Amino acid sequence: MKYIKLIVCVAVLVFTNAACTKFVEYNPQEDYQITANDYLKTSDDYSKMVIGVYSPLQWLYGNPLIGDIASDNSVSGGENATDVIGLQQIDDYLANSNNSYLTEAWKSCYEGINRANYLHENKAKLDFTGKEALYGEVYFLRAYYYFELVRMFGDVPLFVEKRLSASDSKKFPRTAKAAVYSQIELDLNNAIKVLPVSNVQKGRVTRFAAQALLGKALLYQGKFDAAAAALETVANGPFTLVSNFGDVFLQSGENGTESVFEIQYSNISPFYDWSNPGRGQGNLAVQVCGIRNLTGSSPYGQGWSINLPTSNLASAYAAGDKRKDVTVLDIEAYKKANPQFNITYLVAPYKNTGLYNQKYLPRKGETSGQVELNYLNNFRTIRYADVLLMAAEANNRATVPNDAKAQGYLNKVRERAFGNKLNNITSTGATLKQAIWDERRLELAMEGDRFFDLVRTGLAATKITNFKANKNEVFPIPQQEVDISGLTQNLGY
Amino acid sequence: MKKALKRTYILSLFLMLSTLVWAQNKSITGKVTDPSGVALSKASVFIKGTKLGTTTDELGNFSLSAPASAKTLVVSSLNFDTQEISISAGSMTIVLTSNENKMDEIIVVGYGVQKVTKVSGAIATVKGADIEKLKPVRAEDALQGRASGVTVISNGSPGAKPTVLIRGIPSYTGTDPVVVVDGSIQTLDDLNSINPQDIESINVLKDAATTAIYGVKGGNGVIVVATKSGKKNQKNEFNYSGNYAVQQVLNQIGVLNASEYAAIINEGSVASGGNLMFPNLSGLGVGTNWQDQIFKNAPIQSHNLTARGGSEKMSYFLSGGYLGQDGIVGGGEKSYFNRVNGTANLNFDLTNKLKFIANTSYTNIKGAGIPENAINSVISNALNFDPTVSILNNVPGTYGKYGTSQTILSEIINPLTQLQDSYNGSNTSKLFGKLELQYDVLKNLKLTSRYGYTNTDVTGKSFMPLSYYGTAHINSTLNADGSAKVGSHNSVYEYKNNYFNYTFETFGNYRFTVAEKHNFETVLGFSMARVTGNSLSGSRQDVPFNSWDFADISSATGIAQTSGIDLGSYQYERRNLSYFSRVDYDFNDTYLASATVRRDGSYAFGDNNKFANFFSGSLGWVVSNEKFFKSDFVNYLKIRGSYGVTGNENVNPQYQRISTSIYSYGLGQNAGYTFGAEPTSIGATIASFKNDDLKWEQQAQLNAGFDLRFFKNKFSFSGDYFRKDISGLLFTPTLSLYLGTASLPTANIGTTQTSGFDMNLGYTDQLTKNFKISTNITFTKATNLVTETNNGLITGGGYGIPYQPVTRFEKGYAPGYFYGFKTDRLFQNQAEISKASSQPNAQPGDIRYVDINGDGKIDGDDRTNIGNPFPDFTMGWGLTLEYKGFDLNTYVYSSVGNEVYRAYERNLAMTNKYRGVLGRWVGEGSTNDATNPRYTFIDANNNTRVSDRYVEDGSFIKIKNLQLGYTFNSAKLKQKNISGIRLYAQVKNAFTFTKYAGFDPEISGGIFDTGIDRGAYPQARSVAVGLDLKF
Repeated sequence: MKYIKLIVCVAVLVFTNAACTKFVEYNPQEDYQITANDYLKTSDDYSKMVIGVYSPLQWLYGNPLIGDIASDNSVSGGENATDVIGLQQIDDYLANSNNSYLTEAWKSCYEGINRANYLHENKAKLDFTGKEALYGEVYFLRAYYYFELVRMFGDVPLFVEKRLSASDSKKFPRTAKAAVYSQIELDLNNAIKVLPVSNVQKGRVTRFAAQALLGKALLYQGKFDAAAAALETVANGPFTLVSNFGDVFLQSGENGTESVFEIQYSNISPFYDWSNPGRGQGNLAVQVCGIRNLTGSSPYGQGWSINLPTSNLASAYAAGDKRKDVTVLDIEAYKKANPQFNITYLVAPYKNTGLYNQKYLPRKGETSGQVELNYLNNFRTIRYADVLLMAAEANNRATVPNDAKAQGYLNKVRERAFGNKLNNITSTGATLKQAIWDERRLELAMEGDRFFDLVRTGLAATKITNFKANKNEVFPIPQQEVDISGLTQNLGY
Repeated sequence: MKKALKRTYILSLFLMLSTLVWAQNKSITGKVTDPSGVALSKASVFIKGTKLGTTTDELGNFSLSAPASAKTLVVSSLNFDTQEISISAGSMTIVLTSNENKMDEIIVVGYGVQKVTKVSGAIATVKGADIEKLKPVRAEDALQGRASGVTVISNGSPGAKPTVLIRGIPSYTGTDPVVVVDGSIQTLDDLNSINPQDIESINVLKDAATTAIYGVKGGNGVIVVATKSGKKNQKNEFNYSGNYAVQQVLNQIGVLNASEYAAIINEGSVASGGNLMFPNLSGLGVGTNWQDQIFKNAPIQSHNLTARGGSEKMSYFLSGGYLGQDGIVGGGEKSYFNRVNGTANLNFDLTNKLKFIANTSYTNIKGAGIPENAINSVISNALNFDPTVSILNNVPGTYGKYGTSQTILSEIINPLTQLQDSYNGSNTSKLFGKLELQYDVLKNLKLTSRYGYTNTDVTGKSFMPLSYYGTAHINSTLNADGSAKVGSHNSVYEYKNNYFNYTFETFGNYRFTVAEKHNFETVLGFSMARVTGNSLSGSRQDVPFNSWDFADISSATGIAQTSGIDLGSYQYERRNLSYFSRVDYDFNDTYLASATVRRDGSYAFGDNNKFANFFSGSLGWVVSNEKFFKSDFVNYLKIRGSYGVTGNENVNPQYQRISTSIYSYGLGQNAGYTFGAEPTSIGATIASFKNDDLKWEQQAQLNAGFDLRFFKNKFSFSGDYFRKDISGLLFTPTLSLYLGTASLPTANIGTTQTSGFDMNLGYTDQLTKNFKISTNITFTKATNLVTETNNGLITGGGYGIPYQPVTRFEKGYAPGYFYGFKTDRLFQNQAEISKASSQPNAQPGDIRYVDINGDGKIDGDDRTNIGNPFPDFTMGWGLTLEYKGFDLNTYVYSSVGNEVYRAYERNLAMTNKYRGVLGRWVGEGSTNDATNPRYTFIDANNNTRVSDRYVEDGSFIKIKNLQLGYTFNSAKLKQKNISGIRLYAQVKNAFTFTKYAGFDPEISGGIFDTGIDRGAYPQARSVAVGLDLKF
């Protein structure tokens, strides 16, 4: 009898417990936390996640700075030799693998890629109207991030199937540049098939943007025939050059008739985080360009005298080229010409050139909240003028060159620059090619492409002091990534 | 129950009559006393094997008629060992021995009780009697220095929680031991609601052998609190104890008086190229001593009334208490801790085999506080505010009661204005206890099932009025005429928090003996625990009349877009499911062994590691029980050792969170984008990685110790060596950057090692018939080292504006160590500056810092370990002397090697200075002490950076308790049914011996804020008189 009691007790004990292992299972919903399990159940979830893929574009504010500072267009500037040290080293060709700007670009691009991949892996989960077009944006953005990576670093880890999880750490080696470009082409071609030619929302990716980026990627690979074909549609698309070049870079010129693709910034939702200043909706690259301690009633705001145009760039403009004053602000000359503004300012304390990046100079009334962090200026990432010049180059360098077409595109740009046809180019062949390249510098200076153009055209070593061929064509892979993931470092770093 | 009571009465009646009825039987008379000869009243005297018996009268006498056949008396009394004695002719004298401090004492361990002699783990015990004598506000105070292996760093603020470390600091995630009250699992925070007078004993479980039964909760040690209960067949006994004390601050910090202040300000201004700020020093005098103004003599009083007793079938312990403590900073109006307690611990025998126990306690705590231990605290303001300012506002036509400074225009404000404008209050109601059933299935098999619960409701409110600190003071929100500044708002903040947790446990204890000498005690059971918390809070601007009287969200009118109205809420939950078992074995009380296993499931662990297993084992050998052991000197010797594994579940569940924020501060998880001029579009992204492998912090502990009693059992000596190896501390793993910027998971990466020893030496003796001595010394030492963090680093507490971090948790160092520059005297001249490692802005008289990495320049990389806020060792010494009715209790606590970071100096040009500045460098050769650099407004060398300049030795000896009592024991009182009156006078924190120049070197604050003195609330000296009454 005693033992029966004992057995009953033990049985009750065991039974009650088997039923309640569930007791310790965790469901984040109990803490009102939204997790991946709750998401991608409506088309709205998908739309929101696509917006999330756009976000890291804004974090890449440093890339246009690098594209000019690494070239003969501008110097790093800043307060002293240790201010913005990463940019100083890029400027001085002493860049090593511990460079915060390069690490930031690397991380931001890969975040964008992972966000795109997450949508890719969940594509089949739900069907809804407009899904294909939405995915066009996703694939464009993934291509954009890979393109930024490949032109900065060369071979990079390539993965497209899914958002990586913690267990995927250290699994991916570097993939050959060509394969990365193939993926970029594939993504863009897929995007072109489904994207609309225009969107109600300004700044959303269009089919033309994808075609333009495809043309650019092809140009970088020397695939001129294909590039010409891709760019042709855009060159003959619904775009026009804004007659007054300077208007392109004003707030009123954002997402205008010349805009093919712009990275959007805004001062609508002010941001205050100094520890990660580039992660808000504002464009920090604008603040950095500004003139130190500027006072007076000019339209410009103060800044940090970084990314200062060189006199070499200023003197590259021919007399009568209206782009010079839009691109380069000579502060002393400006001050003299406008005594009514009562301008005072602090001469750039380091690497002063007396010149400032007028295209992206901070302007009063265009920021909010923490003023340094919230300038609204969009990056004019792909302008129609850029497309025309790329189309010109592709036609000039095609297997069967079409120099007449090339001249036509090129002169469209020059006519706007000079306001007349007197400066049109009539040369052909290699001379025309050089003219197109020169034009790219003049037209697109301080927009972040110069360094990459010099590298892809093989002119970097001759144009840039301290540039070492077979090394400086690419930047070093972030050391952290080399250490953690065991990636091979680029040659010479 | 009624029936049970009735039966008791009948029994009593029967006993009273018995002398008459059995008058023809033999008569037994005698007296019962304690070992010192003091008569014991109400001791029960029974004839063995019968229900015949009586109780002793007030003088300890009894007389009893017994059948001629009666041979043995059974004599028992509360707190004394029951004795059986052969009946002898004539008046018998029966001396009962106290069961306190005895070796066959029973102590409460996890899911059971154990005889002290059979324990082979490491346990420190503090008895209720000691707690009663100390009269602490919080029970932890009684552990300080009394329980070896436990380090308690007290907090001076009324009712505030101290830092409690059991055997060092194994992890950065928290050091709080788990608190088990009558079997119910609670937290250290709950100890403020238990009336220390209700506590029967506190046992601190220290080693793995004793804590492993608590598994994942046992890693920081376990404090087992047993509250009092009644005893069966015991006449009701009332106890009243009350005391009243006045508290005061022990000392002041030396700061400059008005004249000295003005002179230094002049010097600083001139040294940096400015004018004399005070052209005329005469007439300034000593000015205002702001410390005099903020410190008040504050009362503290407590009253407790308890009743305990029992009948045949039930017993009870009832208690009601009140404690009112006013703060010494600002007085009781602004800082207080008032607690009301009620407890009913009831035991019922439902049947012969089934027992029901209901312990119920209710506590209400009302409290208010002032800004503390921060640069904007009241004390900091008192130390840094302008001494030339008059106490009261003497500028006609301006707002405010108190003076304002013309020169201090930011951050530092008049401390009296601050006190006046500090309005807050909280009200905590707590209901806790347990319901328990015990069923004796067999004679030696008991099943226990209990439900322990704690429900806490906290409501509170604070009010930030518009304030005036001077016309040009940037923190002024009022103009000089009392009108509100444009854009300024007052605000009221209210919150309601609820915390509820329960533990449901069922276990069986089975006791058996094999072949007479092999004794087994076993326990097997399971436990389910749930901890929840939720909060709703809100704030609103624009309280009418800028007044606390109207401060309520319902009356406020703010509707401003930003923070006009603000809402917040949170909720959390933790659940555990555990199974446990323990086997204790002994052979003939000589060879001891125990083994414990616990399997713990936690809500917080990752899917792949839902359950953890913990094991421990221990061995003991009572050498003195061996036949070969023959010593007249050593009465008892036990050697013991244990090893085992426990855990720490201070981890948070991890999952793939979706972020829909436009931006997220600090990290790359924002998902917004702004198309054209539209409002920002809300996006979404995966914001965090999950870690399904997440698990507990694991702690392996080795313990080796001994217990020794010698010289007629008068001396006892215990010592333990321990070593803890902790693995699985949560740090961020190193993952490929190409995974993106989602928040990285934390993983079980870090390790630490702690070792040390605890010792306890006691001596109790009855020196003469009237003179008794009892003394006890404890020694506690623990050395902590962080051995792995995967390059991770936890930056902890700091101070100042801009904020300067000081403490760290980092590989290669002790947890919470001070991190900063090392100083190397002062630069006496330019030549020394040129010779030293580059300090570009240094001038003669500035501090020379040590170039730790030898790279020729002084920069952030030269920072290093400059101190440890935790003591090398602590000691406690208690002494009790009893002579006739007098008793003297002293208690001394000492902490050695703890360092203090002096962080209460604001160091603005115009703020008041620490007196040390009078010994500053004033020219070559004047001083070479790095704590006294030249004084200048423009500190280009940054002499105020975090450095050992501010680190002081905080070692101290405190006379914590000094108490003299007298117990009246006259027959007259007893006739009035008063069995004892004790009157006493007590001084707490009577003296502190320390080199530390601040208020109090004891600065509590967990791992990261301990030892940083930002103007911490000092412990008060309190002088009390009190009365203990038994009737």
